Amino acid sequence: MMRTTIKRRLSGVVLLLAAVVALFWGHRQLVPVMRHLAYLTGWFLLAVCLFLTAYNARKKLPFLPLGNSRTWLQIHAYVGYFSLALFFVHTGWRWPSGAFEAVLASLYLAVAASGVVGLVWSRIVPRRLTARGCEALYERIPMIRRKLAEDAEALALASVATTRSTAVADFYKLHLAGFLGRPMNGWRHLAEVRSPLMRIKALIADLDRFLAPDQRKVLGELAVMVAQKDGLDYQRSLQLSLKLWLFVHIPLTYSLLILTFLHVVIVFAFSGGAGAN
Amino acid sequence: MDTPRNQVERLGRQDNPFDPEFPETDLDRIAALAPFKDMDPASFSKKQPLRMILQSDTRLRRFKRGEIIVRAGDYGSSAFMIVSGDVRVVLPPGLPDRVLGRREPAKRSVFRAVAQLWANHRNPEVRTPEELGGGGSADAESGSRVFLQDVPRLIGKSKTVTLGPGEFFGEIAALSRMPRTATILCDSDDAELLEIRWQGLRDILKHDPALRAHIDALYRKNTLSNALRSFPIFQHLDEEQLAQVAAQTQFGTYGEYDWSGDYKKLAKAGTNSIDKETVIAQEGDYPDGVIFIRSGFGRLSKRFGSGQRTLNYLGAGRWFGLREITHNWRDPGSAVPFQYSLRVIGYTHTLFVPTRVMEQVVLPGAPNSLLPRPLTPDELDVDDDDPLKEQGGFAQRIGPELMEFLTGRRIFNGTATMVIDLARCTRCDDCVRACAATHDNNPRFLRQGPVSSGIQVAQSCMHCVDPVCMIGCPTGAIHRDASAGDVVINQATCIGCTSCANNCPYDAIRMVEARDPGGDFVTDKEYRPILKATKCDHCIDQYGGPACERACPHDALKRMDMTRLDTFATWLNR
Repeated sequence: MMRTTIKRRLSGVVLLLAAVVALFWGHRQLVPVMRHLAYLTGWFLLAVCLFLTAYNARKKLPFLPLGNSRTWLQIHAYVGYFSLALFFVHTGWRWPSGAFEAVLASLYLAVAASGVVGLVWSRIVPRRLTARGCEALYERIPMIRRKLAEDAEALALASVATTRSTAVADFYKLHLAGFLGRPMNGWRHLAEVRSPLMRIKALIADLDRFLAPDQRKVLGELAVMVAQKDGLDYQRSLQLSLKLWLFVHIPLTYSLLILTFLHVVIVFAFSGGAGAN
Repeated sequence: MDTPRNQVERLGRQDNPFDPEFPETDLDRIAALAPFKDMDPASFSKKQPLRMILQSDTRLRRFKRGEIIVRAGDYGSSAFMIVSGDVRVVLPPGLPDRVLGRREPAKRSVFRAVAQLWANHRNPEVRTPEELGGGGSADAESGSRVFLQDVPRLIGKSKTVTLGPGEFFGEIAALSRMPRTATILCDSDDAELLEIRWQGLRDILKHDPALRAHIDALYRKNTLSNALRSFPIFQHLDEEQLAQVAAQTQFGTYGEYDWSGDYKKLAKAGTNSIDKETVIAQEGDYPDGVIFIRSGFGRLSKRFGSGQRTLNYLGAGRWFGLREITHNWRDPGSAVPFQYSLRVIGYTHTLFVPTRVMEQVVLPGAPNSLLPRPLTPDELDVDDDDPLKEQGGFAQRIGPELMEFLTGRRIFNGTATMVIDLARCTRCDDCVRACAATHDNNPRFLRQGPVSSGIQVAQSCMHCVDPVCMIGCPTGAIHRDASAGDVVINQATCIGCTSCANNCPYDAIRMVEARDPGGDFVTDKEYRPILKATKCDHCIDQYGGPACERACPHDALKRMDMTRLDTFATWLNR
C-alpha cells in the first residue's frame, strides 16, 4: 500500500506539472493577441510572491483558524516551484539587461535557491540528528556543555590526588580542555566529517596503554565525556544550520518585495501608460 | 497598614468550599440523614472530621421535573445522593445530543482571538485579579440548566430506572475519572439532591468501608446490566439472561488508586519492570472466565525467550480470554489454556464472568459475527517465534521496542499525547512559539522528553484517560471539561498546593509564580510567592484545535489518542 506521504507528493508533482504546462500553453496563446503581456505575467508573479510571503504571516497568527502550517508549507513549496516557471515566462527566458532588473532577478533566484536548499536541508538534517543521538534543546546546549567541561576538569584535577600521578591531568590540559571548553568543528559536523573525534580517541588510546588501572578508569570517564561533547557539537552545528537558513531566506524575501515594488513604480513611471492594451 | 497591591490571602481547601454559603441548618439536616448519621465520627481524622468534609465538599441542589441532572458522556467530578424526590436514569441507547443541550466548550470571540496579537502580557504568568482572588466554581457541570419537555416521547424506546431518597448515583464517573454512563433526569416536581465532589466522596469512603459496600450493591442493582450490555458479546441476551450473567459477575479492583507515586518511584530507580505488575491472568493457566476491563488498563503480554513481550494494552471496553473460552466451547476435545498474560498497569477495575456462565448463557445464542475466530494451529505454536507476528497489524507496524516503551512509560494513558517524529522535526520550535502566542506568551509544554525509535513524547499534558493528577487536588481546580473531556485547571480555585504537579507521572504540570497585571510577583502576607499550576489545556478555547499541532510545518508533531494504537501505527507509517 502506498504511503500517504508518497501519495501526497506524487499528487503535488502532477498538479505542479499541470499548472506549468497550462502556464506555458496560456502564455503562448496570449503572445499574439496581447501586446504588453509582460504586465500581466508581472502582476501574476507579484501576486504569487505575496501569497508565498503570506506563509510567514500565517506563522505569526497561530490563534486563527487559517489552516495547518503543514498544508501551508506544501502549498508554499509547490507554488514556489511554479513561481520559477512564471519568473522565466515573465523575463522571456532572458537575463535582464538593466542593472536594477539584474539585481532584482538575482534576488529572486537567491530567494528561490535558498528556499529549495532549505527545504532539502530540512528533510535531511532531522534524520541525521536523530540517528546521532545526544538530543538536546538548542538553547540548553551551552549550559550542558559548560557542565560537562566543569565535570571533566574536576575529574582530571581529582585524579592527581586519587592516582598520585599527573598523567591524566596533563593530558586533559593539553588535549581535552580546549575541546571541551567551546563549540568545535561546526563545519566538519555539517559535512559529516568525524576525523577530529577520531584523532582525540586515538590520543586517548595511545595514553591508555601506559596507565595504571585507576588512571585508566578516569581516562575512560573522560573519553565518555569527549564523545558526549562531540555529540553536543554535532547537535549545535546542525540545529544552528536549520535555524540560520531562514535568516537568509526571509530577509532576502522582504528585500525582494521592496525591490519588486520599486520595479513596479519604475515600470509604470517610464512606460508612459503602455500597460493599457 | 494597607495591604500592598500585589499581596493576596493564601488559599486553602476550606477557602474554596463547594457551596460558599452552605447554611449550618442544612448541614445539620444532612448530617442527620443516612448514611452519614450512621457513620462513626471516631473513624474520621481530627484534622478532617466528617462535618468538615460535608461542609467543604458538598452542596444542596434543587431540580425541577424534566431537568437534566447529569448527561451520558459528560465528565463529572461529583456524585449525588437523593435527599428528596425521585430521579429517572435513562438507559442506553439514551437521548440524542440535540435533546441533551450538549454544547461545545466556549471559544474566545474572534476579536479576543485576534487581540492576542497585541494584548498578550509582556511578563510571564500574569493573572487577573479574578484568577488570584479565589471563588468561582470549578464544577464543569453547573453550566446552564437544560429542561426536557414531553419526557415520555423523548425517552422513546430507551428503558429507564427510577431512584428514590437515600440512593447514590454518579459515583463511578466521579471516582474512576470516567465519563457518565447514563443521563439522569429529575422525575419529581421538586427534588433535592446532595452533590458531593469526588474529593469528599474519596475521603468518606476512606474512613467508612460500609459506604463502599453500599455503593457496590447499588452498582450491581442499577448499573451492572447496563455496563455489561456495553460489551458486544452480551448484546444479544434478553433481560433474564443478562440478569443471570450479572448475578454471577465478580468485581475486581487491582492496583493503587493513586498509582502515580509508586510508578514515579520505580521509574526513578529504573526498576519499573513488568515483573512488578500484578498478574490478573497468566498465560498457560486454565481459562476460568472472561475478564472485561471496566476502567484502567491491562498489559497483554506473551512469553518470549526468558521474558515477556508486550503485545498490546487493553483499556476500558476491552476484554481478555474470550477467544480461548469460545475455542474450548466449540471444540472441547482440543481445549487450550490462556494464550497470553494480562497484568494490571496502574489502577484497574474489571468485571469477571466465569466460563460456566459464558458457556451456558452467553455463547449458545451468540451470533457468529460476535464470536471470535477459533485459534489456528499456527497461532497455538508461536512460542519460539516472534509473537508480534501473531498479533499482526498495528503491533507489528509499531514494533517491539516502541511497544515496550509506550507500555513501560504508561503513555497509553493519553488521549492527546504530544508525539514528535524526530526524523521529521527540524527543531524549529514553531510549536512552542504557537503555544506561547495562544497562552498569553506562556508556552504550556516543553519540547523534550523520552525518546524511543525516533519518536519523542514531549512533556505536555496528555489529557489522560485516567488523570491521576486530579487525585490530590483539594479544591477540584483541576478537572475535566464536561463536554470536551480535556483536563483543565481553573486558575481561580487553584491554591498552588503542587499536588497535581507531584502526582502527574509525566512531569507535564509546572508550578509557576504568579504576577499581577503590572508585572509584580504576587505574594501572600508572609511575602511568599503565590504559586499556580499550569499545563497544556489542549487549546480548548481556541479556534482550530491545538496550536502546536497546527503550527508544525513538517507533519512531525501530532496530538495522538494513544488508546487507538491503529491510528498511531498509521501515523508512524504515513
